Amino acid sequence: MIYDVDHVTTYDYGTRISFARCLLHLQPREEQHQRVLASSLRIDPVPDEQTVARDFFGNPICHVRFAAPHATLVIHATARIRVEPIALPEPGATPAWDVVRSEAALADLGRDSPVHQLFASRLVPLLPDVTAYASTSFTPGRPVLAGAMELNRRIHADFTYDPAATDVATPISAVMRHRRGVCQDFAHLMIAGLRGLGIPAAYVSGYLRTQPPPGRERLAGADATHAWVAVWCGIRAGWIGLDPTNAIPAGVDHLVLARGRDYGDVAPVSGVVVASAGHRVSVAVDVRPAGEGPPQALAG
Amino acid sequence: MSDAAFRPGRDARGRLETLIGGYRPRVGVPDEMVDSSGRPRPHWLPVLEALAAGEPADVARAFAIADRHQRDSGVYYRVYSDDSGAERPWPLSHVPLVLPEQEWRHIVAGLVQRAGLLETILADLYGEGRLVSDGHLPGAVVAGSPDFVRPVVGMDTGGRRRLQVYAADLGRGPDGRWWVLGDRTQAPSGMGYALENRIALSRAIPDLYGGMNVLRLAPFFQAWRSSLGAQVERGHTRIAMLTPGPLNETYFEHAYLSRYLGFLLVEGGDLTVRDDALFVRTVGGLKRVGVVVRRLDSEFADPVELDPSSQIGVPGLVQAVRAGSVILANALGSGVLESRGLLGFIPALARKLLGQDLLLPNIATWWCGQAAERDHVRRNIQDLALAPAFNRVRDWPLPGAPVEGAMLGAPERAAMGTLLAERPYDVVAHEPVRLSTMPVWQDGRLTPRPFTLRVFVVSTPDGWEVLPGGFCRVSEAQDLRALSMQHGGRSADVWVTSESPVGQTTLLPRPGAVPVSRVIGYLPSRAAENLFWMGRYLERTEATLRVVRCLCGLVVENSETSGPAREALLRTADLLVAWGATAGPPAPRRGAAAAAIADALYAPRAYGSTRSLVLEARRAASVIRERLAPDAVRALSALVDQFDRPAAAHEGPGEALEAAESGLRTIAAISGLAQENMNRLSGWRFLEIGRRIERGILTGRFLRRFADENAPASCLDALLELSDSQITYRARYLMGTERAPVVDLAALDAGNPRSIAFQAARLRDHISNLADLPTPDALDQAAAIVNGIIADLTDADAVTLSADDVLAVENRLMDLSNEITLRFFTQSDLRGEAEDQA
Repeated sequence: MIYDVDHVTTYDYGTRISFARCLLHLQPREEQHQRVLASSLRIDPVPDEQTVARDFFGNPICHVRFAAPHATLVIHATARIRVEPIALPEPGATPAWDVVRSEAALADLGRDSPVHQLFASRLVPLLPDVTAYASTSFTPGRPVLAGAMELNRRIHADFTYDPAATDVATPISAVMRHRRGVCQDFAHLMIAGLRGLGIPAAYVSGYLRTQPPPGRERLAGADATHAWVAVWCGIRAGWIGLDPTNAIPAGVDHLVLARGRDYGDVAPVSGVVVASAGHRVSVAVDVRPAGEGPPQALAG
Repeated sequence: MSDAAFRPGRDARGRLETLIGGYRPRVGVPDEMVDSSGRPRPHWLPVLEALAAGEPADVARAFAIADRHQRDSGVYYRVYSDDSGAERPWPLSHVPLVLPEQEWRHIVAGLVQRAGLLETILADLYGEGRLVSDGHLPGAVVAGSPDFVRPVVGMDTGGRRRLQVYAADLGRGPDGRWWVLGDRTQAPSGMGYALENRIALSRAIPDLYGGMNVLRLAPFFQAWRSSLGAQVERGHTRIAMLTPGPLNETYFEHAYLSRYLGFLLVEGGDLTVRDDALFVRTVGGLKRVGVVVRRLDSEFADPVELDPSSQIGVPGLVQAVRAGSVILANALGSGVLESRGLLGFIPALARKLLGQDLLLPNIATWWCGQAAERDHVRRNIQDLALAPAFNRVRDWPLPGAPVEGAMLGAPERAAMGTLLAERPYDVVAHEPVRLSTMPVWQDGRLTPRPFTLRVFVVSTPDGWEVLPGGFCRVSEAQDLRALSMQHGGRSADVWVTSESPVGQTTLLPRPGAVPVSRVIGYLPSRAAENLFWMGRYLERTEATLRVVRCLCGLVVENSETSGPAREALLRTADLLVAWGATAGPPAPRRGAAAAAIADALYAPRAYGSTRSLVLEARRAASVIRERLAPDAVRALSALVDQFDRPAAAHEGPGEALEAAESGLRTIAAISGLAQENMNRLSGWRFLEIGRRIERGILTGRFLRRFADENAPASCLDALLELSDSQITYRARYLMGTERAPVVDLAALDAGNPRSIAFQAARLRDHISNLADLPTPDALDQAAAIVNGIIADLTDADAVTLSADDVLAVENRLMDLSNEITLRFFTQSDLRGEAEDQA
């Protein structure tokens, strides 16, 4: 399956900003089941400095600096991505979660290593009540993927998808209390629960196709960037993607943009002016099978 | 002194025996001063003899000199704590720790070995990661540290060391050996306090210090400074110390060390990254910085690539480091070595990487992320101390860390069991540490107290240099467990004594060794701005005190409703209201003037009260402390002490007059110190410009209020007093007070140091001197404003000068203030773009 992605981020500062320095996570990474056939960034105004690199986790990044005063910033990212189907291992055949936990701690420091995904991170504190919530899915000796898929389903069942309930700054303690949130909140919550039990869990940002194939329902989170979880299921099975917002494993409709410990590692745009208050930001995402014409939502 | 042993008439011999006899370390605990049979060790005898040479009162007097020195140098002073004046974390314990050089050599060898080992480990963790992939170190021990900074993994350092400054905390165990209790690799603090302790103590007991061949500290600092400078290309050797700011608990040390070592003290906002190079914003434009001595934690160093919530970092710093254009001491991520979890692996890593055993052992440590270690800890929890494996672990379930397993109650033990089951990686256990003791001087006698010793190591081109001394922390309690060290205590100087005489070294250059340089010290814009505002606030304080003084005189003979100078009294009281020196407008009633006086001195919530103004002046001064003479800092503290208090009940005009005059004397002292002691090139002009602008504006306000066409003589007299010009007037005019000559004196007479014309002339001098700064932005605008003021005042006639004319001058002075702000203080990055980038 080949997709075309358009991702437009518009910052309206309300005033002229004389200086900005940003870090962009807007170009998709390569994955075992995912090839990036083309990608581009168009930035207005044109940055005074622009450097392309990769971050620690192997995600493509772009450093940009603007020196000229500007009141709006528009970043238009496009990509053509080929996604292959992912064969999910038989959950009952994955190792027991307590075995996975012991294996994980001794792994190396490479970018895909589970050791980076074992500990609290800036946006994912380990909270006793979240750990306790997760632990009911992990009875002693239970295969790790079986437990993780049950947790994936429980979050979908117990929490309400509600874009009005949270924003990017809402802590997971509030999400746990109010049982509401969006994909980013559910991913953070699931990660916190898994790590609290010593199971490595990573944050994946990406896209869903905007219009579902005929006869299928539109998935939640399809009109913006999406987020889900990768669970480490031992050395053989490796990382398995689970989407608690939709209670499904990540599949051929999930396009990976970046992987990190939490949203903070992979925020599409992070930086100095962006971090200050008083601006309006709008994001438009369109993901469609290649060859289906220009994006409707973004035309013009 | 209360102790009966110190009766007058006992000779020194007797006092010595009493000192030694009364000193009783615990049995089985090694003591630094006496051996196991209670006999003093030979290297301590000179100290003991000196303490016994005089009466205890003499000793107390000498030690008081050290305390006074520390108070005067500002060690005890931190700005934002209102409730206590003395909050230095570790006040001086006067008896130094004495170590013979022979023993010291062993510590030096051990720490040089350890520093090299730690550097090798750091290079591997941020480089190839072989120690982990080859199985010598579990990955989680590294990845679990919040100080493992992923964006710098794989970054090339050009062969330079990541670890440039390192400190180890040592304790002497029951076996008499020194043990490493912990490593400080992020941004070790304490070096400045060690230096300050040395200076204070060597002044208090100079004969003893001079006679004991104590190894000097200065060569170490010299070596460090030149080693930092030698690592960068010529021309880019400016060294900055990056501090989190005055709120930081060790800010005093940052200011102190910067001043001593000649580093530029900067906050994140002072720095900016352009084209992958680091610059400091100065009054002379952007200047390249080659080396940053980093005193803030890595994660706060760059909001773009590290913690985005950091307000104290430098956006783009990681990119500048990546480009190799700036060296950080220590490198970003060095703090990963501080994890307790790592300690247990160090002995084996020493054998693997160095082929040697550790010369100084570290405390036995078990990281519970490994099954065998976890089982050991579970079995022996009674005999071990438990602690988080990493810094900044949240939700640690035990009361304190480290905490001994034997002291845990049932619920805590259960919580620990859960943690060991679910998150074993987060836990370490180590052998409880028992410390040796050293003497402290208390109530005229010596008492044994446990201590730890922090020793500092810096990287040099030839290897590593160890500070021959250190920061010794002495517990207030008798408790010998190392963990009690966290709860406050004192610090002691550390004397390493040589058997042969030591050479004199100071950081003061030898005559002829340094080429003469008069280049401006590139004052950071923020420092210039604070000097400017300190000048303005001091001047406003002075004017307010003059108004108070004037009003005090008036209320003696007049009231709001009667008296020959009633009009002057009303206008003066109104002036205080208009300046915001009172909490609210006084009711038009008898006694309102007296209330205004008390408010103008002490009102806490009136922005124009003396109390508020001196606090603002001190706030401005606090962030430029390294640029002020210690005497000026002390005088400013005295000024704050005087007015930062509630007004005493029933304080009459007499007491208020006294307070105002005393305050004016202190301000005169600060002005004199600035005038005589501040280098003309380094910020004095900004202090001066602030004062002159403020004085010109305030004199204008006096004129408008007291010298209108209908002003009675009493008001003109008040104006003469406020502008301190009575003596000149009486000498010049043998008549009563007339308007025109008074106006001439206060506004137009360029020979009168209080006149507006005089302020304008001084401002012209300062601005023409600032024009020498390499700033492309011309100072034409500022010069034009000043010249306009001078021309108008020269042409003006005292008889016809109107209130509007005066107001116009005040407004132009405010324009000048804005222009100076724009040219020199504005942090706008856009402006910087056009500036010199060399």
